[in-house]
Amino acid sequence: SPERAQESRVRVPRVDPYGFERPEDFDYAAYEEFFSAYLVILTRRAIKWSKLLKGGGRVQKSMTVKRYVRKGVPLEHRARVWMALSGAQAQMDQNPGYYHRLLQEERDPSLDNAIRTDLNRTFPDNVNFRKTANPCLQKALYNVLSAYGQHNEGVGYCQGMNFIVGYLILITKNEEESFWLLDALVGRILPDYYSPAMLGLKTDQEVLGELVTMKLPAVGALLDQHGVPWTLLVSRWFICLFVDVLPVETVLRVWDCLFNEGSKIIFRVALTLIKQHQAFILEATSTADICEKFKQITKGHLVMDCHTLMQNIFSEPGSLSMTTVNKLRESCRARLLVQ
Amino acid sequence: MSRKKTPKSKGASVPAASALAAANGPRLACPRTAHPGPDAPPNGPPQANRPSLGGGSDLYDVAFKVMLVGDSGVGKTCLLVRFKDGAFLAGTFISTVGIDFRNKVLDVDGVKVKLQIWDTAGQERFRSVTHAYYRDAHALLLLYDVTSKSSFDNIQAWLTEIQEYAQHNAVLMLLGNKVDSAHEHVVKREDGEKLAKEYGLPFMETSAKTGLNVDLAFTAIAKELKQRSMKVPSEPRFRLHDYVKREGQGNSCCRP
Repeated sequence: SPERAQESRVRVPRVDPYGFERPEDFDYAAYEEFFSAYLVILTRRAIKWSKLLKGGGRVQKSMTVKRYVRKGVPLEHRARVWMALSGAQAQMDQNPGYYHRLLQEERDPSLDNAIRTDLNRTFPDNVNFRKTANPCLQKALYNVLSAYGQHNEGVGYCQGMNFIVGYLILITKNEEESFWLLDALVGRILPDYYSPAMLGLKTDQEVLGELVTMKLPAVGALLDQHGVPWTLLVSRWFICLFVDVLPVETVLRVWDCLFNEGSKIIFRVALTLIKQHQAFILEATSTADICEKFKQITKGHLVMDCHTLMQNIFSEPGSLSMTTVNKLRESCRARLLVQ
Repeated sequence: MSRKKTPKSKGASVPAASALAAANGPRLACPRTAHPGPDAPPNGPPQANRPSLGGGSDLYDVAFKVMLVGDSGVGKTCLLVRFKDGAFLAGTFISTVGIDFRNKVLDVDGVKVKLQIWDTAGQERFRSVTHAYYRDAHALLLLYDVTSKSSFDNIQAWLTEIQEYAQHNAVLMLLGNKVDSAHEHVVKREDGEKLAKEYGLPFMETSAKTGLNVDLAFTAIAKELKQRSMKVPSEPRFRLHDYVKREGQGNSCCRP
């Protein structure tokens, strides 16, 4: 009812816990309903994690940790858990002072220019990234991106990395940790998404296409019929790892698993979004229609309810072994290289 | 109003309609057909003739695809939002990653022309992702930033890209954006004019911030495309270059 919506509007803050202003069309009532249920889960998970982490030892990969991570890492432990499970912590420990030495190096002007062009265009809707914020996270964003460009010259800077680093900074509140987490993603977890040829990105988009054809043939047929390339629909999903595609909380839950289980999580999320909206997608009658529907399926209640979505990604798409993904990657890459 | 009757009125620059690939042909809708718009809610029935948020209508007679290209940060998205919504909100835009589009329906001499405008990431490495879409474009707006020499220097490279991947008959226009900027205009209007002349392109300086020549650029494109696709013999021929020269504000021909 309008009254309830109005009441929710009063109760739910306009700025979320990460500093993002809620959009104009934000559904306060639906959010409040979701969040009151989610709060119970968050509380239970917080207690479980506190017990697990008691003693302060390093988090290590195990079946228990995997199960815990899939149910969500509490915000207070997120940075520590991501650092440990992604191998970023180990890299940081083995290379003391490395990040700070990179910051002192002379910058390549074209790299510098590319990064600066995007500083004002990274999360203008987040109060922490405003020029007037104190501290203004734009400076940290600039430092991490330019250090990374120096560190990984083959990649340099690719648009999209700005959004990823923005999230890393918001969660870790630490430049050096953000740097090593970015290195874990770009250097190890994701296969070559950001280098100039973007071959890993193109490959994974094709792999998703193959998986959809296998698991959701009607959607595959619709895209074939209209000649819609996958890159048109999902390039932002892969490049930005769902940042600015899915709600913030949902993205963080996806990243919990991404840091622990690797890049196939992206396929699981993508397949689940498509499968859950299959009937809706199949209503499309044109390329533009299909594009619009793929935007719509990243909005609404199903993606806001991050806990249910994260349960669904491990059941809805069915089995998805790394062997299958790697085989598809091999064949898709070979096909792309011929073109 | 058959496409087959489109005359070759503009020499080499206007193709016989049959030369257009099916995917590239102007999509002629049944007159004033309500199209289930992209604004239909998820999981709900498509709503016919629901006005889109930007105030446009889904009713149209003819539809075309327009692409915005140019270096990162020259203002492609801002130009598009200014045209679509008449707004410029400084510091509210995020860098475009990949490719995106918005629709706007214009009334061109009583004909509803729908422009489907594709906005692309400007960073060089994204070209290999976006140039696949050039072939379907009926028009391309190529932008540089008048305060950035490098964005102007790269226009040649963009033109090469366009020549390689776009249809040879696509309408092209060169725009020097951000003329409102207080920063030094390192690219003078004459530089833009000279380059445009060299390649035979219509040219204007624009400002997404003030709106200068923004509607005009898109309107000119819409007029040209409409004329090409539905030639009415009694109608005087639309001349894109002359129109842009005459109507463009601040163009050299209009200065004393």
